Amino acid sequence: MASIQAIKNEMQTEETPTVNVEKRFKIWIASLILLMVVGGGAIAYRAIEGLAVTNLNNFVPWGAWVAFYIFFVGLSAGAFLLSTLIFVFGMYQYEKVGRYALFTALVCMIVALTFILLDLGRMDRAFNAMTYWNVISILSWEVRFYLIYKVLLATELWFAMRKDLIILAMENKGWKGKLSKFLALGSTDISKEAVKKDHRWMKILGIIGIPIAIIGVHGGTGTLFAAVAAQPYWNTPLFPIIFVVSALVSGTALLIAMYVIQRKARGLDVDLPMVKALSTLMIFFLVIDLGLEFYEFLVAGLSQKPDKMAVLSVMFTGPYSWSFWGVQLFLGAVVPIFLVMSKRTNKSVGTLAIAAVLVVIGIIGVRFNIVVPTQIIHPLKWMPEGYYAPNLIEWLSSVGVVAMGLLIYSMGAKALPLEVSDEEVMDHV
Amino acid sequence: MITEDANKLLDRFRQKGEDILGGSKYSTALGLNMAEDARLLSQGKMSEEQFVQKYEEKVSKEFNQHLAMVEEPKKDGPRWGMVIDLRKCVGCETCTVSCKAENLTPPGVSYNVVMVEEKGTFPNVNRVNIPRPCMHCDKPPCVSVCPVRATYKADDGIVVQDNDRCIGCRYCMVACPYGARSFDFGENYDEMTSYGDVTAPEHGMDRGEREKNKTPIGTVRKCNFCFHRLQRGEEPACVETCIGDARYFGDLDDPNSVVSKLASSPRAFRLKEEYGTKPRVIYLR
Repeated sequence: MASIQAIKNEMQTEETPTVNVEKRFKIWIASLILLMVVGGGAIAYRAIEGLAVTNLNNFVPWGAWVAFYIFFVGLSAGAFLLSTLIFVFGMYQYEKVGRYALFTALVCMIVALTFILLDLGRMDRAFNAMTYWNVISILSWEVRFYLIYKVLLATELWFAMRKDLIILAMENKGWKGKLSKFLALGSTDISKEAVKKDHRWMKILGIIGIPIAIIGVHGGTGTLFAAVAAQPYWNTPLFPIIFVVSALVSGTALLIAMYVIQRKARGLDVDLPMVKALSTLMIFFLVIDLGLEFYEFLVAGLSQKPDKMAVLSVMFTGPYSWSFWGVQLFLGAVVPIFLVMSKRTNKSVGTLAIAAVLVVIGIIGVRFNIVVPTQIIHPLKWMPEGYYAPNLIEWLSSVGVVAMGLLIYSMGAKALPLEVSDEEVMDHV
Repeated sequence: MITEDANKLLDRFRQKGEDILGGSKYSTALGLNMAEDARLLSQGKMSEEQFVQKYEEKVSKEFNQHLAMVEEPKKDGPRWGMVIDLRKCVGCETCTVSCKAENLTPPGVSYNVVMVEEKGTFPNVNRVNIPRPCMHCDKPPCVSVCPVRATYKADDGIVVQDNDRCIGCRYCMVACPYGARSFDFGENYDEMTSYGDVTAPEHGMDRGEREKNKTPIGTVRKCNFCFHRLQRGEEPACVETCIGDARYFGDLDDPNSVVSKLASSPRAFRLKEEYGTKPRVIYLR
């Protein structure tokens, strides 16, 4: 009973926020809606006029939207895998971000699939991807994995929130209580045994989810690229592994950033030791990622295969090499490693959050450099080089889709019991 | 007088079939009958099945041999292929132009291109023109990646694109080692009067006026060896219009076809053979 009382207290403090926080939230939501309207305009324009309004062309058929799609699939897989550290491997010191991780994974997946829908030449035929199945096409498998994964995420999140939904439904008489009552799906048991059962279910779903997330969702997305023999830069067995590791990097970074930003925005205190531990974990993943990429480039450079060298030279010296050196390596790796490792900077939540945001931005650079440079080089050496940079329509619609994701997240974070109190964490430890 | 002598002389050397067969230890009548029927068989007046049925028993009794029908692999129709003689290609791009005219491809979509390779330094220089249609691979990477099976290998060897099923994900374009696929972004040659009114009879199908968001716009397009022309018994447009007669088209399964013979030439090679795609377009260097 003590823990329930504690949760009640926690909820009360959250339900009587200062006017300032309430106002901040309203401004935040309003600006997101504004961005969605602007992006929605661009999306509508694209839907009416077709892909001709983008900068995509027959040399570079895959562009910004595909890059964002793999970026968000990566965020999702990374966030989910972090949640399994908690719910499967019992690292309850991170539990405060556990439900956020699951919810983030779900929202990122929605965003990722919206991006890929935008990218289809015939959006009206998107359902064909479900009705027809090519068993030797990895993309065909991915479509199905994404769906299974989304269902799994939603189910696991439901088990994680079940007890708190029931409590909310009892305590809260407003819209939040009604929503919780609806979402509890008629479940009423909040006994210790039932909660224990929830945790078992979460563990089972987490265990099933690990191979689905690693092999199916994100390793699969990496394989989608790695299996293309015509693109020598993608066509290495290391590629899917780099995909998974960079997913862990970006997923962890995103959770740190989200956690710190929303606590600060709501005027609540931040758990510095946990943020520090998560940041160290993020840097650990990042260093592995950099190591894998280093060998990818080293082996390519030493073996001097002309088609691969051509792609690397576009990446290292082409017109968009700033995104490799500047975004991917300097902002996305060197600076955050320094910020987290240096004893002078790693004591402030703000700097750690900046490091996390920089890592997320760096991974956007990674995704763009995966998708674009290899297509600049035509598979036939006699053909000229291609050119691609996203245009305003592509940027605006991307902003709109991301704003949609943030809006779903913000609404969810407000309406759903995603917070976990210190007492509850102590219970499991 | 002379004719008589000549006939006598001839008779001495002429040998009769019956006499020769009589010298053999096997039945003369059977040999003659079989020879007679073999002639009918070759004239198509008798089926192989009938022949085997008629003689199966007798042959096994007389020669102790088993007579059976030759098990031929089932063959239904030709499997098309193309040979391009690079020594005859002058790089005029007539194939590219005639392809665009025949298939009415929009701006940015070209099923055929001619690439140029310049080798050496002055004065020892060499220039080779390399036309590139779709290779119609026997192991097409585009077919294996397509998530909805909108592109497939037809029995006649052509790699077909089903524009009514394609979702426009462009995975096939990324996966094609020859860059032989294009996406229809929906652009038009607006400067040409009534360009959109005429449609190409691709796959022998008339789609009516070209309109926004209507197939094939928003899908991936590719060379189909002018399938609609093949159905009429004509060669693909690029083959027919080639000014240097550098392109040959025919049945690669037929060992007597021109393409089969050229394909076995020591000059023959295929683009990117190391990818194992087994192209049906063969070049002569």
